[in-house]
Amino acid sequence: MKARFVLPLVLLVALAAFPLVAPLFGMEFYIGFVRRVLIMALAAASLNFILGFGGMVALGHAGFIGVGAYTVVAFADAGVMSAWVLWPMAALVAGLVAALIGTVALRTRGVYFIMTTLAFAQMLYFIAVSLRKYGGDDGYTLPARPELGLGIDLANESTFYWVVLVLVALALGWMHRATRSRFGHALMGIRDNETRMRALGYAVFRIQLVAFAIAGAVAGLAGALLAGGNGFISPGAMHWTQSATLVVMVVIGGLGRSWGGPVGAAVWLLLEEVLKQYSEYWHLPLGLLLIAVALWAPKGLAALSRKKKAVAA
Amino acid sequence: MTGILFLEQLLNGLGFGLMLFLLAAGLTLVFGIMDVLNLAHGSLFMSGAYVAAQAHQQSGSFVAAIALAVLVTVVVAALLEVLLMRQLYKRDHLAQVLATFGVILVADDIVKMIWGPSPVMAPTPAALSGPIEIIDGLPYPAYRLVILGAGVLVALALYLLVNHTRVGMRVRAGASDRPMAELMGVHVGRIFNGVFLLGAALAALAGALMGPIVAVQVGMGEQILIPALVVLVIGGIGSVRGAFVAALLVGLVDTIGRAFLPMLLRATLPPATAADLGPLFAEVAMYALMVVVLIFRPSGLFSARA
Amino acid sequence: MSLFRIEGLVKRFGGLLATDHVNLTVDAGEIHALIGPNGAGKTTLVNLISGLLKADAGRIWLGNHDITPLKDHQRVGAGLSRCFQVTRVFAKETVHDNLMLAVQAHAGSSLRFMAPRANEAELVAKAEALAERVGLASERHRIAGTLPHGAQRALDVALALAANPKLLLLDEPMAGMGPDESARMVALIESLRSEMAILLIEHDMDAVFRLANRLTVLVQGKVLMTGTADEVRGHPDVQAVYLGTEAEGHS
Repeated sequence: MKARFVLPLVLLVALAAFPLVAPLFGMEFYIGFVRRVLIMALAAASLNFILGFGGMVALGHAGFIGVGAYTVVAFADAGVMSAWVLWPMAALVAGLVAALIGTVALRTRGVYFIMTTLAFAQMLYFIAVSLRKYGGDDGYTLPARPELGLGIDLANESTFYWVVLVLVALALGWMHRATRSRFGHALMGIRDNETRMRALGYAVFRIQLVAFAIAGAVAGLAGALLAGGNGFISPGAMHWTQSATLVVMVVIGGLGRSWGGPVGAAVWLLLEEVLKQYSEYWHLPLGLLLIAVALWAPKGLAALSRKKKAVAA
Repeated sequence: MTGILFLEQLLNGLGFGLMLFLLAAGLTLVFGIMDVLNLAHGSLFMSGAYVAAQAHQQSGSFVAAIALAVLVTVVVAALLEVLLMRQLYKRDHLAQVLATFGVILVADDIVKMIWGPSPVMAPTPAALSGPIEIIDGLPYPAYRLVILGAGVLVALALYLLVNHTRVGMRVRAGASDRPMAELMGVHVGRIFNGVFLLGAALAALAGALMGPIVAVQVGMGEQILIPALVVLVIGGIGSVRGAFVAALLVGLVDTIGRAFLPMLLRATLPPATAADLGPLFAEVAMYALMVVVLIFRPSGLFSARA
Repeated sequence: MSLFRIEGLVKRFGGLLATDHVNLTVDAGEIHALIGPNGAGKTTLVNLISGLLKADAGRIWLGNHDITPLKDHQRVGAGLSRCFQVTRVFAKETVHDNLMLAVQAHAGSSLRFMAPRANEAELVAKAEALAERVGLASERHRIAGTLPHGAQRALDVALALAANPKLLLLDEPMAGMGPDESARMVALIESLRSEMAILLIEHDMDAVFRLANRLTVLVQGKVLMTGTADEVRGHPDVQAVYLGTEAEGHS
C-alpha cells in the first residue's frame, strides 16, 4: 500500500475504535465531543476548499452551516424524519443559497469580498432569529434523531458516531480528490494568478461560483449532522464570530492542505475544551495562540511539518 | 406626533452616525495607508467605554473621565502598534484578520478579569441627565445633544486637519498611493504611527461618549465593529470624507429603520408577518445598503485608492 | 480580408483620451509591430484588444467574428491569445504544471472533480509538446519562478500558444533580455509566423525591423502612420517623434 495511505487509514481505524474503547476509560461523554470535532472538521475542510485552495477569504461560512441545520428543522417540524431526505436536502438548500450569495459576492474582491460574505451571513443570522416558528433566538429542539432505516438506530450514540465518521471520511476523501482534478487545479490557478487564468481563457467567475456552492453544500451537510447530533440548533451557530472561528481553524490547520480543515478543527476544539477546564478566562490563551500563528506560522501547522513538494502532475 | 418621533429618531440616527464616524475615520485611514485591517479597533472603543465609566464613577467628573479614557487607550494602542501592528504591515489580510481577532479575544478576557462579566454602569453626567426642549413639543435628552455637538466638532476638526493642513495632505497622499507618496518624500511610516494613535483616541472618545447610552459590556467592541466595517466599505477605503458620508447614512438608515420599518410593515402586512419581518428588516437594512452600494460602486462611494 | 481588424477604437480615462479612434489591421501570416514613445497608449490598446479594458467606442474583428462584445476570457476561445509585459507565469508551479493548466483550458470542461488530472495522457502530451516548442523540454520539472528571465518569457509565450490562437498579442517580449536571450526569442517568434498572425509591441528596434512585415506608430493614443519598415524609418513625422528616443530604442 502506498505510504501516504497509511496514516489516514490508521487514523480512521483509531477513530472507528474510539466508541468501543472509550467506555473502558469512563470517557463515554467524549464520544459526542469527538463527533462534534468530526463535524467541524468537515465544515472547516469545506471552507478550506474555497479559502485555502481558492484564495477566497469568506467570512460568512457559518451561515451555510446554519442553512443546513435549519433545513433539517423545517423538514422535521413538518414531520419528515428520514435522514435520506434531511441530509441531502440540507446540502442542496445550503448549496443553492451559497450559489445565490456567490453571484453577488464573487463580483467583488479583497476586503470588499470579505465584507460582502460577512454581510450576507449576518442576513442569514437575522433571518434565523426572526423565524419564530422555529424558535427564533431561543433555538429549536428536534423531536428525535433522524431515521436511517436499514435497522440502523441513530439514537444510539455509537451508531450515530460511526455514521458521521463514514460520511465525514467520504466527504473529506472526495474533496481531496477534487483538489487533484481539473477543477482543483483550475481553482488553485485562479488563487495564484487570476489575471493569467483569464488570459488563458478560463471562465473564472463560473469556476469560483461552483467552488463556492460546493463549499456551501458541504457546510450545509455539516450543519445537518450538527443539529441531528445535538438535537438542538440556535441562530448562535451562525453568528459571525463562528465564521471567524472557522477561518481560524483553517489557517491554523493549514491553508490549501487537504488536512488543514480537520487538523485545525481538532486543535482548536481540543484546546478550547482543555482550557475551559482550567479557567473561565480561556479566550486569552487562544487569542495569544492566534497571534502567534499569524506571526510565525501563517500557513498553518500542516505546512510546518511538511515541506512543499513540487507535485509532478 | 409621527413628525416629532421622526425628528427624534433623525437626531438619534445622526448621533449614532457621528459616533460611527469617529470609529470609521481611524479604521479607514489605517487601512488606506498601511493596508492593515485592524479588527481590534472595536476593542479600543471598548477600552474607552470601560475606563470612562470607571473613572466617572470614581471621580464624579465626566470630562476627566473622558480625558483619562482617551489617554489610557492611546497608551494601549501605542503598545499594540509597537508589539503587533508593525509586524502585520507586511502580511496579507488573512494574517491580519487572524492576529487582530486574537487581540479581540485577549482584550475581552482582560476586561472580564478587571471588571467581571456583567455589564458596567456608565452614569450619565448629572448636569446632562434631563431633557432639553429644542423645539416646541420635542424634548430631547441633553446628553444626546452633547454627543451630537461633540461629534460635529470632532468631524469639523478632522476635516480641517485632513484637508487644510500639510500633515493632512501627507496623510491623504499616503492613503491614496503609498509608494508614490514615499517617493515624494513623505515619511509614511511616521505619519502612520500618528494616524493609528489618532484613530485610537477617536475610538476611545466614541466609547466614552456612548457608554452612558449603550451597554458597557464584554463584546461591545465586536458589536460596534461590524457597523464600522460596513461604513468603511460603503465610504470607500482611505477616504475620511467617505467615512463621514457613509457613517451618517448607516447611522440614519439603521436608527430610522429600527424605529419605522416595523411600524411600516404593521401598516401594510398581516400582524404575524409584520412582527417577524419588522425586526429582521431593521437589522439587515444596513447590510442591504452596503450590498446595493457595492453593486453600483464596487469600491465604495469615495475610494481614495488610485 | 484581414485576419484581424480594429475600427475606430476609443478609450477615455476621465478627461484623458488614451486611445484616439485607432484603426489597425493584421493579415494572416503577418507580424505587425506596434511602436511608439513611452506613454503612447500601447499597453492600453493591447488591454482593449485582449478585453481587459472595455472600449468606449469602436469595433474589433477576428476573422469574420465581431469580438467587441466578448469578455476577455471569451476572446481567448475566439482565437486571441496574449502575453504580458510583466511576466505572469505561475511562479510556484513547475513548468509542466504551468503548461498543463494552459492546455486544460482548451481541452473540454474544467468542471471535472473526480479524475486526477495527472492521469490525462492527452493533456500531458500537449504540455510536453508545448515545452518542446519553446525550448523548455529539459526544464519541465523546474519551478517556474527559478527559471532565468528569458526562459520565463518563453514559458509565457508557450502558455499563450496553448490556445492555438489565430492572433497572438506579444507585449514587449524582449523586455529585460540580454543579447543571447533576445536572439532566442526572435527566433521563436519567427518560427510562429507561418501559423498565426502576431501583433508585437516592442521597444527593441533591431528585433522589430527584423521581424515585422508592417509597423504601426502610435503617438498619444493616435495612429501616426502604418507602413513597412522602410516607409516608417523614412517618414519625417516618425523621425521627429523618435528624435532623442532613437538611442533608447537600440538594445
